Amino acid sequence: MNEMPVKDVKAFTANDFGSDQEVRWCPGCGDYAILKAMKTVLADIGRTPDDIVFVAGIGCAARFPYYLSTYGFHTIHGRAAAVATGVKLANPELDVWVVGGDGDFMSIGGNHTLHALRRNVDLNLLLFNNAIYGLTKGQYSPTSPVGTRSPSTPGGSIEQPVNPVRFALGAGAKFVARAADTLQTHLPGVLKRAHANKGASFVEILQNCLVYNDGAFGAINDRSQSHEATVRLEHGQPMVFGKEEDKGLVFDKETGAFEVVNLSDLASKDVLAIHDETNLVRAQALAELEQPGFPVPLGVIYAEIAAEFVEARGFSGTKSKWGRDELKALL
Amino acid sequence: MTYAVTEACIRCKFTDCVEVCPVDCFYEGENMLVIHPDECIDCGVCEPECPEEAIVPDTEPGTEKWVALNQKYSEIWPNITERKDPPTDAEEWSGKPGKMDYISPAPASA
Repeated sequence: MNEMPVKDVKAFTANDFGSDQEVRWCPGCGDYAILKAMKTVLADIGRTPDDIVFVAGIGCAARFPYYLSTYGFHTIHGRAAAVATGVKLANPELDVWVVGGDGDFMSIGGNHTLHALRRNVDLNLLLFNNAIYGLTKGQYSPTSPVGTRSPSTPGGSIEQPVNPVRFALGAGAKFVARAADTLQTHLPGVLKRAHANKGASFVEILQNCLVYNDGAFGAINDRSQSHEATVRLEHGQPMVFGKEEDKGLVFDKETGAFEVVNLSDLASKDVLAIHDETNLVRAQALAELEQPGFPVPLGVIYAEIAAEFVEARGFSGTKSKWGRDELKALL
Repeated sequence: MTYAVTEACIRCKFTDCVEVCPVDCFYEGENMLVIHPDECIDCGVCEPECPEEAIVPDTEPGTEKWVALNQKYSEIWPNITERKDPPTDAEEWSGKPGKMDYISPAPASA
């Protein structure tokens, strides 16, 4: 057998992770921002394009694999997590990323998202949440807020939307994070943490759809106002937010909920909640924080060290152990 | 991959582009704007906004020098995120060739 050539991983820059395909999202789409951040992250991680697979379902977000020089698989609607699970089981050495929108992950694929998370297979699941069905021209989605007017809800949506972070925690996810498309100094760090986690990593990325749902996330992904509308979570650090870092969150143990306080009203900053990403109860309370009234938490909301599926089930052998020869013998 | 502002912007500087940029990556000189190549996400939303057609993708031939110029000045000029009135003589300079001779390295005045 020929020896594998030594890979010079340092030779791969962010641009090397781009493909030769013409990017066909609408001008101004938040997906461009996520693609840019992803290429940077892949270069920083330091693996080669042939060590990486991007699996996508159907939707605007699902075009993602075409625009990367890694392996990619444009699968069927909602089933990306299932296909990715198979990819990871067949070759646990690959880095497997799953990309989908709110339709793909939370609607038709909600079931598969649930099971990928509870099994804790080592996948990085990226939900591009734009709260609308963009590819089919603007119908309301499971994450659209009540009152969303769309071709399928001309009188405004009357349904309670899915909160993806709450959904992921409920499914037993061991790594749950949130980021926003255009916050390019924040998003790459979250993607790197998701990659570093051994197990199913769920990242909700708030993504603006310029054509069908522009401004859906208000100030959150507007760089100039974002610090007023979001709280950036850092493990072990007090939850402080605002451009001037003049506001904070305290945790009421009686009600199990957070409250917003002005730092100038506090006798001591010691009462501020300290972010503990290993605390599930706090993570669940953070999932409830929404605009208006509360800053939206961005960063790693919950991270628990837990047994990863492939290793825990004894599938950690190499490709050859589960390869063609053994299958032939089995049959 | 990035977009770059080219010669046609010089002395016209209409600033329609800065309003639509989702990542606020425009920087303002005295008589021209530039795009920060490291911040541009290549989404292309600014390109049709420019009445002078000064914004081009770096995939077009001959844009290397403009990308380099955009890189250089975006690191020293101030960020611009809101539209402002163009220079009073902007229309006179519209479409004129050879405007490169008039580029000002000075940042926009506050």
